[in-house]
Amino acid sequence: MSKNRVSRRQFLSYTIMGVGGFMASGTIMPMLRFAVDPVLQKEGEGDFTATPQKVDELTETPVRVDYTIVDREDGWYKSDESYSAWVYKEGDKVIALSPVCKHLGCTVNWGGDKNHPDQFFCPCHDGRYYKNGDNVKGTPPIGPLDEYLVMEKDGYVYLGGTTPNTLV
Amino acid sequence: MNWNSKDLDTYFQQKEYIDTLLVPLLKIDTTPEQLKASTSSTEFLMHLSNFIETQFKGRMMVMPPFTYTQSTSLNEMGEVLQKDLQQLEFKHIFYLTTDREWTDVETYGEMIWIPSIPLESMDKQLRQTIIEDQLRQVLPTLTKKWTGE
Ligand code: FES
Repeated sequence: MSKNRVSRRQFLSYTIMGVGGFMASGTIMPMLRFAVDPVLQKEGEGDFTATPQKVDELTETPVRVDYTIVDREDGWYKSDESYSAWVYKEGDKVIALSPVCKHLGCTVNWGGDKNHPDQFFCPCHDGRYYKNGDNVKGTPPIGPLDEYLVMEKDGYVYLGGTTPNTLV
Repeated sequence: MNWNSKDLDTYFQQKEYIDTLLVPLLKIDTTPEQLKASTSSTEFLMHLSNFIETQFKGRMMVMPPFTYTQSTSLNEMGEVLQKDLQQLEFKHIFYLTTDREWTDVETYGEMIWIPSIPLESMDKQLRQTIIEDQLRQVLPTLTKKWTGE
């Protein structure tokens, strides 16, 4: 009888159920991961994470160091979050730069452009950075690469949160 | 970019740079003997598309996976996608799938088929290496389109 009539209350409860169903639906879960992602990427300051990189094996040439923050739970599966840094030595100081391009966030590579082997290169729109992270003027990035807080412990590199570049 | 409202805002502002759409096509096979393989290829596809997203965030919008079960007609699905995805103003559209049957289907955009690799038994490091290797396989298809105009 009331098939065609939807009262305000019914409408509300449909809406709420709709949202609940949405959250519960397995196939939509990956979207949750996407949605939650930026939150996960924010790191608390003062937290340092061990990397597999030995300090005394570092040289003046940046190497990619991958490390993992374990046991991050997200919507898709329980997973460990992976991060990377470009790490090198300047005298005795260990420098770690974020690989996240300051244009629109692609991942940059050291020596990724054959014509500029001594720079960081972003493959997305040919952005370039000098070794200290300073952006090459005339390429799309609008600022230098961020720096990681670095700590040395038991001969290994530990990385903390990112800060604006202090080397430029 | 991911398919969320924050990234979509960035997309609206930076359309000229974010010119590529990546659509993962995910098959879920519900026949009992295929379940294990199905979850395995799901994990593989998700890992790979997430990894591609972090590498090319500033140039690509990566959609949530378009998921279907084994009885779905891929021809029909392909037609629907063709019709609807055309409305988005991306210069390049790529599909990413581990389902070989897509290679026979006409689609609007470039189909990237990549066989699934069981990642679940691997440790973190090996898994990362494998995913990077797979990206290297995919890369020529992407760059060819990107530079070929
Ligand atoms: S995202 Fe790096 S140059 Fe555009």
